[in-house]
Amino acid sequence: MRRSRAQGGWGSSVVGARHTLTREVIGTTLWLLGVAILGLAMPTPAAAQQRAGVVECQKCHGNRDFLVGKAGTVRGDSALFVPDTLLHDSKHAGLSCTSCHPAFAGGYPHRDAKVIAVPCQSCHQKEGDDWARSIHAPDAVTNGKAPTCTTCHGTHHILGADDPRSPTYPLNVASLCGGCHANPSIIGTYFGAADQAQARTAVSSYYKTVHGTAMTKAGLVVSATCSDCHSAHLILPPDSAQSTINRANITGTCGKCHAGVVETFNQSSHGQALRTGAKTPTGHAAPVCIDCHSSHQIVPASDPVWFRGVVKECGSCHEKEYDTYFETYHGQVTELGFGLTAKCSDCHTPHNMLPSTDPKSSVYPTNLVKTCGQCHPTANANFVQYQPHGDPRNRQAYPRLFWTWLFMTALLVSVFLFFGLHTLMWLGRITVDRLRGRATHDAEPPVTNEEKEKHP
Amino acid sequence: MAVSDQGQGPYLTRFGPIERTIHALVIISFLGLVATGIPLRFAYAPWAAPFMRFLGGPGSAGFIHRVCAAITFGYFFIHLAAVTRQLIRADDKMSIFWGPRSMVPQPKDIRDVVGMFKWFLGLGPHPKFDRFSYMEKFDYWAVFWGVAIIGGSGLLLWFPTFFARFLPGWLFNVATIVHGDEALLALGFIFTIHFFNVHLRPEKFPIDLVIFTGRATAAYFEEEHPLEYERNQREDRLGQLQATAPSRATYLWSMTLGFAALAVGVVLVLLVIYALLS
Repeated sequence: MRRSRAQGGWGSSVVGARHTLTREVIGTTLWLLGVAILGLAMPTPAAAQQRAGVVECQKCHGNRDFLVGKAGTVRGDSALFVPDTLLHDSKHAGLSCTSCHPAFAGGYPHRDAKVIAVPCQSCHQKEGDDWARSIHAPDAVTNGKAPTCTTCHGTHHILGADDPRSPTYPLNVASLCGGCHANPSIIGTYFGAADQAQARTAVSSYYKTVHGTAMTKAGLVVSATCSDCHSAHLILPPDSAQSTINRANITGTCGKCHAGVVETFNQSSHGQALRTGAKTPTGHAAPVCIDCHSSHQIVPASDPVWFRGVVKECGSCHEKEYDTYFETYHGQVTELGFGLTAKCSDCHTPHNMLPSTDPKSSVYPTNLVKTCGQCHPTANANFVQYQPHGDPRNRQAYPRLFWTWLFMTALLVSVFLFFGLHTLMWLGRITVDRLRGRATHDAEPPVTNEEKEKHP
Repeated sequence: MAVSDQGQGPYLTRFGPIERTIHALVIISFLGLVATGIPLRFAYAPWAAPFMRFLGGPGSAGFIHRVCAAITFGYFFIHLAAVTRQLIRADDKMSIFWGPRSMVPQPKDIRDVVGMFKWFLGLGPHPKFDRFSYMEKFDYWAVFWGVAIIGGSGLLLWFPTFFARFLPGWLFNVATIVHGDEALLALGFIFTIHFFNVHLRPEKFPIDLVIFTGRATAAYFEEEHPLEYERNQREDRLGQLQATAPSRATYLWSMTLGFAALAVGVVLVLLVIYALLS
């Protein structure tokens, strides 16, 4: 209507025809100039078309007050009002609206369109496939309530993971995942009973880890966040063979950042056993990173919580060594929570532990002076004969310790038995005397009834 | 009023200043050694870590332990010097090693042990003790060898790299076992059996101050060491041994040190028993 009225206005201008002609020439020239400039700005006709599509949609969806249906039944402003600036600013700036909303390609009005299908997979095929196979898949345990692409990436204002404003930017990932995994009402409603406890603590304990504090306190975006360990799209439970947190894949996952450590670990006894599947005589498989460092409670190695925990962890397989360690000054001080003395890793190295028969081992006989020398600088060959895991109960391996232990135990038992008996009998005699009203040091034996009768 | 100050008669001297000083040093150093040692030995007990933090950590506890060890070596050598001096001065040198006044176990001590057990069962009279009862002799030799063994092994663990210059390394393992077990024997014996024998048995309860003040009433001597008392009486030496009643100051520090030691000792042994049972 407006347009036709304007045309009528031009057509009816007879008096100012010359003026009109001049204005038309100038207008056309300017228009052509504008098109030329736009043409330079838009490299391909396709892009121009897409832009044109966006402009078309913006006629309605660019209006802040644009509503479909009755007020109050609207699904939300964002669904209808899509500021053009958001798209301009996003990774999808070059796309037309119908790229993501193909159902609306038929034109408008499209108020009957029930499903706003967003086929991200059509471009992001791998990510889409991974998501569809992940724990977040629609048919996964969460009954379709699991997050989709937009839950994590947003809708129109999609930004790269390197953009600090993106929810997938490293600094924001923990709070993004925590939005569900630390939200009590979501945990309570959608998480299985078995996962609830884990879900409640995983995110909050992450913030206390070296990874979490590096991220939140130091702002180190290179530190690991949820998606670094669990992956971003193919998030799978640990028992799945393809999961990045499956035991078999853990060293690879941690090794993405801790490459040097994993290389060392792979050469260690643990690393070798992990590859070959070898087990200890007591049936324990080789440990992986998370066994010693835990997954969500990773704390610095200098922290008493960590070193007491890790000694316990070593002891969960190396039981004999664990028990004997705590009989030494080293173990006792460690058990009390002080970092003063040697822990497992101080003698056996943190990641390069090898049997004492391996010349590369820190506990190989000729390396002991150096290893012990870290704390005992004047250690010599005699000094390192000390048995840090000497077991006095093992007569075959440690006869000297066995006999010493046996002698001391016999001494203690005999002394306490003899004097224990002595004390108890003494106490008994005094009690009897007192009850009979006799003086304690009375030289006479207590008079029995029998004797009373004999000597009245 | 302690039992040694109850009863009749003049006060008689039993212990000289060196013996009294040494016993005070034994108490102070021994309590220090035990208090700083048991949190390590019983590190697994729930009270151990808070106790260690209270002591200021293993560094500080180790320092206190070594200061007390130095006091122990100190009184040990003072005692050896005192015995040597006595040996040089005494007219009858053998009486130090043999006879009624000697610390060395005598055949009479065996008879006394048997006699005590008979008395416990009502089968005979209470044995009459001389200057030292067999229990006091055991106390003495336990401390004597205890200091030698715990002290020696402790020294080895204190300066391991020095001793490793001429001693084999397995000796440190042996020293660890001996040090800990002998210490456990010492603290268990002192804080239960010695405390009972000397202070806590009903006739002496709550404390016997003779080792602190060095003197006691004649009545006490007649009861606890009748043979010694009778011999002194026979040899007319009671006048020589006569002493004044302990001064108020002596009485006060004796009570303070004695009761503090008893209290600390009982608490420490309860902690050990708790740890052994848990």
